[in-house]
Parts: sequence; structure tokens; C-alpha cells
Amino acid sequence: MSEVENSEVAVENDQKDYVEDGKNKLNVKCKFCGSKILDKKSAKYITLEKDLPLMQQDNNRKEGEIQNEQIKEFYHVENMYTFENIGFTHTVANCKYLSCADCDAGPVGFYDMDTKHSYVALSRIEHA
Amino acid sequence: MAKKTYDLLFKLLLIGDSGVGKTCILFRFSDNHFTTTFISTIGIDFKIKTVELRGKKIKLQIWDTAGQERFHTITTSYYRGAMGIMLVYDITNEKTFDDIVKWLRNIDEHANEDVEKMILGNKCDMEEKRVVSKERGEAIAREHGIRFMETSAKANINIDRAFSELAEAILDKTSGREADADHARIATVAYCTSAAVAASAAHMPEPEGAPDNFAKTLAF
Repeated sequence: MSEVENSEVAVENDQKDYVEDGKNKLNVKCKFCGSKILDKKSAKYITLEKDLPLMQQDNNRKEGEIQNEQIKEFYHVENMYTFENIGFTHTVANCKYLSCADCDAGPVGFYDMDTKHSYVALSRIEHA
Repeated sequence: MAKKTYDLLFKLLLIGDSGVGKTCILFRFSDNHFTTTFISTIGIDFKIKTVELRGKKIKLQIWDTAGQERFHTITTSYYRGAMGIMLVYDITNEKTFDDIVKWLRNIDEHANEDVEKMILGNKCDMEEKRVVSKERGEAIAREHGIRFMETSAKANINIDRAFSELAEAILDKTSGREADADHARIATVAYCTSAAVAASAAHMPEPEGAPDNFAKTLAF
């Protein structure tokens, strides 16, 4: 499948640009308002396959339906107080979604209630 | 584990009648901002914000009451570990202002006695619908010896300032305690113990494991 190959190439490119010593080389910011989410070198880069609800859901979707997309690259944050600014939603199915603390855009990632670890999707943030 | 990247952690609560705009203070439905239906449907439980005060990096963990005020179920578990409370009323609603006294009583009963409080008269952008004058807000705050500010979550007036001021007031208390604890070594054992406990409660726990325990006590 060519799509998969493309995304793997993209992963390598991302790593080169943004990852150093397995961590985020640059500050992590909100794509929409620029609010600082993570300090540079504070989170581990990992690959993990996880479905996250789309940031903008189609208004014409069926009632109660949630549109997801699979995300493969995350920054792994073990301690929630590592975040500079972040919002946690109420719990849904043993996880809380992460949102921008200043403009509430999200989900930018998720928080696992069992492990108490957070995961920030690279594709939903900006590096600066 | 990563090195500690902050100096202090303050847990802050938003308290007040439902409809006064507590959720909007935490979760700003601003027109010029990108809002997502998904996040607004689920709602925000708490936020972590980082501020710098007097060269100290402080993490604020800010909690909403999530509708519990409607059922009068705000009790000790919600107040546990809280170091600051924002007591919110709506300047366009007399009852929410009258209830401030009830909330103060509730805080006295359930919260830590040295919790730092601040009264916020919210929705100050709705001047044409105002029924509670700023002077009355100031008077009740003065009467109870607590800080006061008028805010608008909608127009983003004084929100960040209110949180910084509350954090600063807690910081003042904390530094006072640190000095007390240092001088108390030769004083009575009982005094030493209480000061040390107070100071450690105010301090950010060590990164190794402790924050998880702290987080557990917050999960209710």
C-alpha cells in the first residue's frame, strides 16, 4: 500500500526535523493560538497506533457519531506536570483528551487513566 | 525520570452558583478562537497552566466543579489539597451574590483553614444588565478580608490577572512559612511539626512517584 509507505517516509522526515536524542528538539505549541504546550526536550518521541477524534467534526455526521483518525506519532509525557499549558477533558472510556489551555482546540492528544501517562499527537501541534 | 522543571504546584478551585460562568473562566468559548464541538461536548475537567512569579516557575492546576454545585455535593473531597479558591458570582444575578456568604461558610467547613480565597464578580462586560455594584463586591470582600476583582471570561478581562494574583497570594504565604520553618527549629516540637507539614504541603512533591499520589488524591 503506497499510503503506508508514504507515511513511513514522513515519520523519518519528522524525526530528523523535530526529534533529537529521542526527545522533542523544539518547543511544542498550539497550532491555532501558539500557546506553549511542552518545553523542548521534555517528552519522548514514540510511535503508537491510536485513534483520536478529529479536531473538527463534520456537522453533517450522524448524531452521536464520532469521526476518528489514526495517529502514529506521539510525544510521551509521563508526568502531567511536565506540561507548560494543557487542558484535560472529563473522562471518556478510561481516557481524558488533551486540549489547548488557551484556545481549547483539541484533542491534541490523550491521557491514559491507568498509567497516568499523556500522549501528544505530533500532527496536531506545531514545533517552534 | 526527567529533572524537575518547576518550583511549585498550586491546586486552585472555581466555586460558586451554577450559571455564574465558572466553566467559561476555565473553558473560554471565545468567538475569535478555534473551538471544537468535540471538546466542548465532553467538557474540561481541569487545566494546567504555568506562570512565573518572582523568578519561580509555578504550575497552576485549576479545577471546575463540574455541576456538583447544583446538588450541593461540594464537600471535603473536592476541597482536598486546594490552596486557592476563586469564589465566583454573576454581577447580573443578585442571588449568586447573596450566595457568596453561603459558599464562604461551605469553604470554612470543608476546606483547609488557610486556603487563599478571592471573590470574582464575573460577566462585567454586561454592564447594561448589572444588578450588583462593584462597591458591594468590594465591601463583602473587605468584610471577609479577601481579595476581589471584577472579571469577564467572555471579553477576557482580568482572568489571567486574577489567577496570577491568587497564585502570588499563595506564594506569599508559602515563603512566609518557609522562613517560619527555618526559625522554628529551636521552638516547640509541635510548632516545628505543623510548620513543616504546612510547608511541605505547599511545596511541589518530589518528581519520583509523589506527583502521581498527588494526582490520585485529586481524582474524585
